[in-house]
Amino acid sequence: MADLSTSAPTKPGRKGRWARFADSDFFYSFKRSPVAVVSFTVTMLLVLSAVFAPLIAPTNPFDPASLNLMNGFTPPMEPNAFTQESFLMGTDDQGRDVFSTILYGMRISLFVGAAAVLFAMVLGIFLGLVSGYFGGWTETIIMRIADVQLTFPSILVAMLIFGIAKGFTPVEYRDQMAIWVLIIAIGLSDWVQFARVVRGTTLVEKNKDYVAAARLIGRSPWAIMIKHILPNALSPVLVIATISLALAIIAEATLSFLGVGAPPTQPSLGTLIRIGQGFLFSGEWWILFFPACTLLALALSVNLLGDWLRDALNPRLK
Amino acid sequence: MLHRTSALVLTAVLATPAMAEEFQWAGRTDPQTMDPHAVSSAPVLGFLNNVYDGLVRMSKDMKVEPSLAESWEPIGDGEGWRFTLRQGVTFHDGAAFDADDVLFSYERASDESADVRSWFSPVTEVKVVDDFTIEFYTNAPNPLFPASIANWMIMDRGWTEANNAARPDKENGNFATLNVNGTGAFKLEDRQPGLTTTLVPNENWWDEAEHNITRATFTPIQNPATAVAALLSGDVDFVEPVPIQDAARLEASDGVNIIRGIETRTIMLGFAHEADTLKYGANAGDPNPFKDVRVREAVAKAINVDAILQTIWRGSAEAASQLVTPALSGYSAANAARPSYDPDAAKALLADAGYPDGFGFGLKCPNDRYPNDESVCQAITGMLAQVGISAELDAMPVSNYWPELRADNFDMYLLGWSPGGSLDHEHPLRFLASTPNEEKRLGSWNFGGYSNARLDELLPSILSEIDPAARQAMIDEVTALYQSEHAYVPLYTQPLVWGTRDNIELTQRPDNFFILRWVTVN
Repeated sequence: MADLSTSAPTKPGRKGRWARFADSDFFYSFKRSPVAVVSFTVTMLLVLSAVFAPLIAPTNPFDPASLNLMNGFTPPMEPNAFTQESFLMGTDDQGRDVFSTILYGMRISLFVGAAAVLFAMVLGIFLGLVSGYFGGWTETIIMRIADVQLTFPSILVAMLIFGIAKGFTPVEYRDQMAIWVLIIAIGLSDWVQFARVVRGTTLVEKNKDYVAAARLIGRSPWAIMIKHILPNALSPVLVIATISLALAIIAEATLSFLGVGAPPTQPSLGTLIRIGQGFLFSGEWWILFFPACTLLALALSVNLLGDWLRDALNPRLK
Repeated sequence: MLHRTSALVLTAVLATPAMAEEFQWAGRTDPQTMDPHAVSSAPVLGFLNNVYDGLVRMSKDMKVEPSLAESWEPIGDGEGWRFTLRQGVTFHDGAAFDADDVLFSYERASDESADVRSWFSPVTEVKVVDDFTIEFYTNAPNPLFPASIANWMIMDRGWTEANNAARPDKENGNFATLNVNGTGAFKLEDRQPGLTTTLVPNENWWDEAEHNITRATFTPIQNPATAVAALLSGDVDFVEPVPIQDAARLEASDGVNIIRGIETRTIMLGFAHEADTLKYGANAGDPNPFKDVRVREAVAKAINVDAILQTIWRGSAEAASQLVTPALSGYSAANAARPSYDPDAAKALLADAGYPDGFGFGLKCPNDRYPNDESVCQAITGMLAQVGISAELDAMPVSNYWPELRADNFDMYLLGWSPGGSLDHEHPLRFLASTPNEEKRLGSWNFGGYSNARLDELLPSILSEIDPAARQAMIDEVTALYQSEHAYVPLYTQPLVWGTRDNIELTQRPDNFFILRWVTVN
């Protein structure tokens, strides 16, 4: 397994981290791949504009007090018939600026996606390590659960979890909790990939001499798993995490599109597409078009980045 | 002999050319129940009008006409009404219809467990005279009584009792929730709640069939855009409602017709009048500000109804000043002005009431009951935020919505009201404005518990007054009362927009009831 640290030509000289990184195979292959450069740039652009949305966005679409209903249905770059205001990407039925709403909506999409992947990753790594290292019944139970879960489409699992969790949440907290429930629902539907990869690596590594040595000097199983075995699994985990991020963003958009995700007062990209879909027949195309393009750009660039990452970190797969 | 007759009938059936006129239609809300007494909502009553009959029914132009009763007349000097029933009518299962079924349906529909019991608040006694004559005695002269029971549907005593459904059960349901045994023009062939409901013609119907349908299937499609797509592709022959934004485009497209009208429904906001504390939002648990009339007036003044009509409704709805529309009888022309949009005055009123910094509360809203319901609620949330009160919007499907309102789980809510039956101002007065009173069967949809002694005092006189001028004077007084107390905030009257394939002929009734027996498939 080509590891980041070993594949880089490490010279004994005192080179800075950045210089060493710029010198690495990893960065070289990045520079040489136009797809990687473009998708990385697009991803960073979108992520940064989401993070700095309050600074970039002309209005705050989540503040109901700032909305003027008379601005509703303004086409992009055209002044509104009543208020004479003009908007880069037009406005939706509530008079919300579509551009600002996309920026804010992307924050929710990215946050939910990233948090869900993190949750799935932690859970998957833990279960993968445990089942690979201990084997026996523990492994059988965990991996059979994983197998069963793989037979269901993950979006159905997420909907099921979301529905159950929503049923248990008191009504008055539902809106605040919706985002967290969404994260857990998507995360729980996504841990299997991580668990399988980590388990595979663990099975290979646990019989190697260094693990036996660590055992002999009396290190605890947890220390061996986390400090010695896990680092070997990190590069495939990173690849899966990146691809999962794209899938989690799409899963969140799907759930919100179906109306079971983010509340309408805090629209994510999926909610925006759902709202826009209602006006598709009537000619107000911009309400759907821009959020859909943003979602496409985000999911595609993260996915391409993940693909390239897989190739770069694991040349054997080429 | 019998065999030969059936053989003849069979040949006759086979000889007729196969004209299977199947009709598919889609609506936004699935009727919650097939029980005509369990839920008093338009989707339920409208749908069940196709399978059940009442003593009287509404014609295409909303006039009362005979149905299971052939005629009716007042008893004495306004003591009540005597109905002469139609003979030879049978229920779908073949049981004969007579006065005992009417008495039973009265007992069932006026029972505590029935949602429609307000219809019978004026009734003191029901007497069966003979098998086909029945008398309803009222506590005062009640000229509107026959019209007010147009949606009261007659069930069979034998069938209902045999199936343990002698009383409606709106919470848990019973046999009558999923099954139908009416006298109507159509029979229920198949019912899958939330999916499809299939009707077939009742070949033994007492009236002459105007339609040419051989089978009709109803599918609820919650998403209006999906419903429009289904209509355009020809998957369904009729959809209701068509989203207002799509009407213009559909009018221009081939193969589809748009039928427009103004509905008899008024959309309004209701308040928790009785609750001591707020239940939702930032100030949950604090004393309920909506008890203060100044706060309710502030809400009325904070809402820019014109903006809602202009944008969300694209100019095709009309602002409302009271609980009924100008087209209905009893409309109070003297009180036609609605509170003007004045956010500054609203802020001043809030400050005056002790809320200079506003407060947070919960707004309940359906998202599949009325066209644009959720959009309107979102817009209202924004407008209220501009005067400093922040609503936490909770929009939900109608099947959860009514139970939540009945359980008093709201601070403020959106409601639409169409006076089905009498089409008169007295209807919302009885259902929405009267103090809730189980015993008198009044105020059954007055969820917030609004109460005004003078209104309660005048209501019986309004119901019994024969002289139109005197009656209108009382209605005017009552209207001014509930307007000045801002019991509700009437918002607008919504347009009716129906879409059909162009080979379909049908009649749009202003109460938005879709009557299948008026449909012709060409």
